[in-house]
Amino acid sequence: MTLDYGTAIALLCLGLYCVMTKTDLIKIVIGINIMESAILLFLVRLAAAPGDRAPIYPAESNVPPAIVFADPIPQALSLTQIVINAAITAIMLSFVVKLYQSYRTIDLAEIRRIQH
Amino acid sequence: MIKPLSIVVLVPLAVVLCFALSALPTPAERKELGIASKHIRAHGVNDTGAMNLVAAVLFDYRGFDTLGEVTVIFSAVASVGLLFSVRRLPNTSEGLSTITKRSIGALVPFIFLVGFYIVMHGHLSPGGGFQGGVIWGSLLILLGIVYGSRYAEGVVAKESRTVMESLGALAFLGLGCVGLFAGGGFLANLAAGYPRGTPGAITSAGVIPLLSLMVGIKIGAGLAAIFYAMVNEGMEVDNDA
Repeated sequence: MTLDYGTAIALLCLGLYCVMTKTDLIKIVIGINIMESAILLFLVRLAAAPGDRAPIYPAESNVPPAIVFADPIPQALSLTQIVINAAITAIMLSFVVKLYQSYRTIDLAEIRRIQH
Repeated sequence: MIKPLSIVVLVPLAVVLCFALSALPTPAERKELGIASKHIRAHGVNDTGAMNLVAAVLFDYRGFDTLGEVTVIFSAVASVGLLFSVRRLPNTSEGLSTITKRSIGALVPFIFLVGFYIVMHGHLSPGGGFQGGVIWGSLLILLGIVYGSRYAEGVVAKESRTVMESLGALAFLGLGCVGLFAGGGFLANLAAGYPRGTPGAITSAGVIPLLSLMVGIKIGAGLAAIFYAMVNEGMEVDNDA
């Protein structure tokens, strides 16, 4: 249990808190993005031990055997996650714009009040 | 104002996560456990010819997965385009001041070049199709903000964005099918007979730079398409009000 994992947990809880308590739709989108960055931090931290090099071979031909590379697979997966983040953020924001066009507000409580 | 219900949910969650994460194996233990990771770190350069092992995983070992990622962006663009109807809007912003336009105009070729560099050196250094594609996409968005979206539409029209996006995806599929016909399996790299080159040279790693370029074109055009779909719609709302 280190500070890195602690930061990831704290970020996840912050994002979840934001999603649960805020009524502003933009703030909810921001909260989901904070949760996603917590997962990203966790994945990248999982891939590397202290002192590991980035998984890129140096340009010189004789690589010193002492070099330890970080695990490249979680890093590639975190790239997948970033792409999916971008996609769902775009779709969430489009829904927010559409809701604003219908209700002229992006406050969830206000939208519920209008519906009833 | 702190809502009590959220605390009731969050504090147990944090405690459970703390226990779960402290039970994870240490990095040294994990490295011994990860067979795929061990193989890639030891033989990645030999297998693919790419110095950047992340790019090797992304475009060679897990090339099929990258096709899925490309499809995710494609479906995002499709759904945003569906939500915001396709009709062309007459008038958008006039852009920013002359000073901004001139100075950004001087920077535009360099920003394009940085994107191109990052895309084409994906197999050698940090970067690749996704990262460079985001730079290209932000360049198109920057043009829209600084010069107004009518001018940006003249530079790269909506139709050409759509064409570029589809072409990127189709070329990715086509490059994958070459492997299929060469007898190496879908998205095979060296097994399909793509030249390996000298690892570390710009023309190396077989099909990885080409796949990277296609992904870059697709991501750049896709992000710009999402932005312009939203911004044109937003403009229309302001005109109504």
